[in-house]
Amino acid sequence: MTIRILLVDDHPVVRQGLKTLLEGRSGWEVIGEASDGAEALEKAKDLNPDVLVLDVTMPKMNGLEACRLLRRQAPQLEILFVTQHDSPQMMREALDAGARGYVVKSNAARDLLAAVEAVSQHRVFTALNGRDAARLR
Amino acid sequence: MKLRILLADDHEIVRRGLRALLEKHEGWEVCGEASDGRDALEKALQLNPDVVIVDIGMPNLNGLDTTRQLLQQDPHFKVIVLTITDSDQVIREALDAGARGFVLKSDAARDLVSAVEALQNKRMFFTPRVNDLVLAGFLEKGHTVSRNEAPKLPTLTAREREITQLLAEGNSSKEVASLLNLSTKTVETHRSNIMRKLSFHSIRDLVVYAIKNNLIQIELPPPPPKSPAGPTAA
Repeated sequence: MTIRILLVDDHPVVRQGLKTLLEGRSGWEVIGEASDGAEALEKAKDLNPDVLVLDVTMPKMNGLEACRLLRRQAPQLEILFVTQHDSPQMMREALDAGARGYVVKSNAARDLLAAVEAVSQHRVFTALNGRDAARLR
Repeated sequence: MKLRILLADDHEIVRRGLRALLEKHEGWEVCGEASDGRDALEKALQLNPDVVIVDIGMPNLNGLDTTRQLLQQDPHFKVIVLTITDSDQVIREALDAGARGFVLKSDAARDLVSAVEALQNKRMFFTPRVNDLVLAGFLEKGHTVSRNEAPKLPTLTAREREITQLLAEGNSSKEVASLLNLSTKTVETHRSNIMRKLSFHSIRDLVVYAIKNNLIQIELPPPPPKSPAGPTAA
């Protein structure tokens, strides 16, 4: 299954790590990268990804704000947050902003692939530290 | 012979990114990875890397204390600290701990290779901000501390700092005891001493202290969105 992914994180090292993990899956392709929310909006418009992997805390425009605008700009786009914030409250805000998935960076190596697969199929995927990954249909 | 590098960061995603960055360089090899400070100490002694790259904000034992303990055990180790912040205090503590390189995580893709090259050539590497502080005479105005001196935190011993970090991370005294191979009673005694020395009354005070003194690093959540403007007057 082909999935075209746009990565958005202000740390190039994190983007590289995510890319290495994602491109290990046959048919998955990282089609672009952005380092803040504003750039994410531009690149999403130009590249039309299937899934957007998004950090929360970024300069210029944070991930929550970007998510709200992206959902209006491209309703078919599925958004997955990958973030430091291991917080049920932040997760609720992210889902309210229109994201379909939320995983914590410290467990990204464990949860990311399943999360991308789930959200690409329009299923919710959330996983906080110390809690089992929940897949809500 | 390849330059051997040990990576210590609690995020596997970050370690993957760093490894991809470093192993593009011919002649360099990531010989091991650690996910917290204690793991980093064990692996450094076991693998004897040429360079150790340490994230400051790691659980169980933070990067600054890892650097101090590593260099106390063997002063020949060369350590680069990675941090999300370059505040004066963090810079001072990294230098006091004996780090030979200081790189901001946000700039790691740009600076880390240069940092490792510098250490490989027996030079140090610091961000421009650190260099500015040095030029401003910060280190020469009586703040110079040799790497073997205790850190500049009020009255806490190295063990007390370790326990402060673990408690601030949410571990119970029993869990701290298990992590440090101590009895719960010993940990409770240290805890009482810490609270008394720092005049704290609650674990919240301890957490705030740990954040302010870089025993733990946190990323702040973004500010909430502004409320929409109220209705205008008719």
